[in-house]
Amino acid sequence: MADTIAPINPADASAPRQADVRTEEMLVNMGPQHPSTHGVLRVVLRTDGEMVLQSVPHIGYLHRCAEKIGENVAPYQYVPYTDRMDYLAGMNNNQAFALAIEKLTGLEVPERAKYIRVMFAELNRIASHLVAVGTYGLDMGAFTPFLYCFREREMLLDLFESACGARLTYSYITIGGVTDDLPDNFVDVCSEFLDYFEPKIDDYNNLLSYNHIFVKRTGNVGVISAEDAIRYGLTGPVLRGSGVKFDLRKAKPYEIYDRFDFDVPVGLPGGTAEIPRGVVVGDCWSRYYVRVKEMIESVKIIRQCLRDLPDADEKEGICNKKCKTVKLPDDEVYMEIENPRGQLGFYVKGDGSAIPARVKARGPSFCNLCVLEYAGKNCLLADIPAIIGSMDVVMGEVDR
Amino acid sequence: MTQFSVPWKQSPPIEHRGPARGIVALARFVYKVATPIVSRFPGPILIAAIVFSTLAVWAHWELFGWVETIAVSDLNGSANSIWGQSLTVAEIGAYLESKSVFAGGILKYLLWPLQMELFRDLVGLAAIFQLFNLIPVYAIWWERKVAGRIQSRMGPMRVGGWHGWAQSFADGVKLVAKEDLVPAQADGMLFRIAPYLAFVPSLLAFLCFPLGSYWVFRNVDVALIFIVAMVGVEVVGVIMAGWASNNKWSVYGAMREACQMVSYEIPMTTVLLVPIMTAGTLNMVQIGDMQSGGWFTWNAFHNPFTFIAFITYYIASLANCKRAPFDLPESESELVAGFHTEYSGFRWSLFFFAEYAAMFVVSGLAVTLFLGAWHTPLPATWAFEENSLFNVLLNGILFSSPFWFIFKCFIFIYIQLWIRWTLPRIRIDQVLYSCVQVMFPIACIALVGHAVWMVLLDGTMVSTVIRWVLGLMMAAVTFGFLSVAAFGYRNGRRMVGYLAVKQLPGS
Amino acid sequence: MKLLTLAAPIIVVMLVAIAPAFAVDTDLTLSEQGIQRSADGGLLEALMFYVCAAVVLGSGLAICLSKNIVRMAVYLFGTLASVALMYFLLLANFIGVIQLIVYAGGTLILLIFGVMLTSKSPWAKFDVKRNELIAAGVVCALFACLLLFVVVNAEWPLETDAVVVGSSMTQFGVGLLTNYLVPFEAMSVLLLVVMIGAAYMARQE
Repeated sequence: MADTIAPINPADASAPRQADVRTEEMLVNMGPQHPSTHGVLRVVLRTDGEMVLQSVPHIGYLHRCAEKIGENVAPYQYVPYTDRMDYLAGMNNNQAFALAIEKLTGLEVPERAKYIRVMFAELNRIASHLVAVGTYGLDMGAFTPFLYCFREREMLLDLFESACGARLTYSYITIGGVTDDLPDNFVDVCSEFLDYFEPKIDDYNNLLSYNHIFVKRTGNVGVISAEDAIRYGLTGPVLRGSGVKFDLRKAKPYEIYDRFDFDVPVGLPGGTAEIPRGVVVGDCWSRYYVRVKEMIESVKIIRQCLRDLPDADEKEGICNKKCKTVKLPDDEVYMEIENPRGQLGFYVKGDGSAIPARVKARGPSFCNLCVLEYAGKNCLLADIPAIIGSMDVVMGEVDR
Repeated sequence: MTQFSVPWKQSPPIEHRGPARGIVALARFVYKVATPIVSRFPGPILIAAIVFSTLAVWAHWELFGWVETIAVSDLNGSANSIWGQSLTVAEIGAYLESKSVFAGGILKYLLWPLQMELFRDLVGLAAIFQLFNLIPVYAIWWERKVAGRIQSRMGPMRVGGWHGWAQSFADGVKLVAKEDLVPAQADGMLFRIAPYLAFVPSLLAFLCFPLGSYWVFRNVDVALIFIVAMVGVEVVGVIMAGWASNNKWSVYGAMREACQMVSYEIPMTTVLLVPIMTAGTLNMVQIGDMQSGGWFTWNAFHNPFTFIAFITYYIASLANCKRAPFDLPESESELVAGFHTEYSGFRWSLFFFAEYAAMFVVSGLAVTLFLGAWHTPLPATWAFEENSLFNVLLNGILFSSPFWFIFKCFIFIYIQLWIRWTLPRIRIDQVLYSCVQVMFPIACIALVGHAVWMVLLDGTMVSTVIRWVLGLMMAAVTFGFLSVAAFGYRNGRRMVGYLAVKQLPGS
Repeated sequence: MKLLTLAAPIIVVMLVAIAPAFAVDTDLTLSEQGIQRSADGGLLEALMFYVCAAVVLGSGLAICLSKNIVRMAVYLFGTLASVALMYFLLLANFIGVIQLIVYAGGTLILLIFGVMLTSKSPWAKFDVKRNELIAAGVVCALFACLLLFVVVNAEWPLETDAVVVGSSMTQFGVGLLTNYLVPFEAMSVLLLVVMIGAAYMARQE
């Protein structure tokens, strides 16, 4: 089956001793068509009864040459390809690539566009985390929170649609600004949505996060220590769930994030009023809960954006006029931002023409997925969906 | 001038042949006729169904009572054979006239075949089979509606007009018409036979399952154990299905099912001993009839231990018919679909019939053993004595009838659905932990405590007070749920999707 | 046609399974005293008996001839269930039900479970060696002789009046706690020992 799987060896010393009765080991192929692998991930499990001794992820089923395409088209033509990578956070991917090109060419971005970018990046962070939280409930067998999350996500998509006309692959944040200005009543509608949405987070907590069964299923499961998280190069909520307080928006502020007041939630030990008993730092529940908390922080940032949003400047416009004609200098640049899933970096090398000589993406899902082999061993079969779900990988971005 | 053409052949529209053609035509006809009626008069139809079921009780009672009197008592019943009696039509007519019953017309001809026991059995069997078919069909439809409501969506709305009432029938037609797939590497014989091994036991459980004092096909003295055994035997089919599919996920599902069933049968049967001890019999009809004196005489309120036993039984029964949060054998996020991953079409639907019928059976056991069986909360001593049509109708509506039994069962099925669409699934080690370390000790405590209570306290003042307190608690809980439901019904619709529909642009 | 082939097994299995219900009327509502009576449809009862006996023998034979261990378990299920049906035919309802719940619903499942979990054996085929076959044949022949001996020497009452049986449960319970108390307690001690042994073997080191 898989050549990377070690041969079946009943006398494996690292295997846990469950009982005196030894049972036969079995190789199980989980995916690429499996409901809880979130796309076309294939994981080969070496199991002993219900115990999983080893799990090896196999990727590449969704490879679409996304990076190579970047070396054949102009940067502004490449923007639509970026939001096909992490299709749940299209805005953030657009933003990462746009920032990389702007850093390389030194294009100026209008002030209003900067605020709009941050606002939509944060709105999309909420939308992405809603999918993560909802599908995580689905992985645990709770169907209802999933649809509640999608109900709120629908409203967010309505907001996106009102601004750019697309509901999934936006290409809204583009090089030198955003493609179009906001509709007139956007500020009112958006703040109305935030007023509606903020109390809903308590609903998710009551329904799912603090549910006893949910805590039992995810607490102390798939624990990744802070050192190991750093060693594996994990980023985003997966890193912060392990207790490492590192967020690029704070640590290396890009765009205008230094103007906003927000907090970076991290995984905390259980037993307090907020964190239930049975939770340890770095387990699945912490990673999940970091996402819930980040939605609250995003709401805070969006409120500040809406408050400080400058009026439209007729002369300046919403997008730099040179965005389509700009030539890339013979230089290289690496720009990374905080995606909902972690650090998304774009490396772009120019050679003086309008088309980049090299485009390379550093995907957070790809790097986070590598820890599955470490976290998903010597656990139960039902823990594997819990661990994969708490990584919140998007296969479109893993395979690119 | 070139025309755009597709490189692949378009398949012609499917033409059904043989019985499938008839089924499709019948379905279309029923759909055409029934849809406008049901969409226009849903309320009257519901009321008519209640009245009709009560009338059916009355008719059953009167008719079979007559037949018993004619065939057994008055006319030398000892010579009665299952193949029928030597009674002629004229003799029956004469008997009816002697009893001053209107004997003209076709009544005596109708009664003549009924003197044969085999014929009466076949009629009863057909009725049971229909009940067994209809309950899963409507339980599935209801589950989808309840799930839809819980998840702030509508559920099936199209087929049949009024709230998609014909959705399950349409699904049934679809499933029958689907291809019957057997994987190439599967153990064909076991794969084909396994759904029947799951289906038939849950059907057999209905054979001695009383829906009312006189509504039971075979009133067996060990009916209770028989039903529990049937629910337990169902698992053989599931395990066979899982193994024969030659799919590792299916094997996992089968192993989990075996593990879960065998362990949860122990606390379940242990707590079932509690009402058996109270009643002193294993006969379901007798257990049900003992609880006729109003809601505070129901077994669950007998003492605190029976109440604990009732709750424990209900949780164990969830595990026993693999409902959430114990739906590990078919957990879709872990095992794809568990034991029925490879099944499709009719055989797949047999598993679903078995599952939903088992849900009804375990709910029915809870109702019969703990919550007053087919009686309403009103004491049966208030019922009307005289057996006129009107009195029987009123007795059926107010005091006891199969309708009430089915209604109570569906309340418990509703709670099963509610739990399923609210809670996450627990893990296999937690399932076994909660069985061995929690449920089984509680069951033992309930059993021993109940025995001690019956010896020491039964019939004393303390017992009566406790019974009333428990009964009032349950009434308060029921009332609370009803108020919450009423509040939700009045205010809920406006809360859902208000912003999405009204406020945002582009929608 | 397809529908018929799919539905026919239901009818067949169901008819076989509820056969005793037709042959034996255990309807308590007929007589208030809780008395069961055998309907004197001798033909039907005989028919049911032969059907059950055929299933018992056929599935027993199939167990011996099958090479696949899980199929053997299914055939064993057939045997156990048909024996339960014969108990029902004999009006021994309690024994029949216990046969179902203990053997068909419990032991058999544990057996299959063990087979599936412990090794590759569900996928293994049985190859019988010659000397095993001879040994088994000798044992079977001896057992057949014993059975024949009993059958020939037994006194078979041609007619029995014992069609009227009271509800078996009360007698059963009383008998268990009076005349047969010592074997009953001995059994329970044995089971306790078995349980302790199982717990000892399954405990984690």
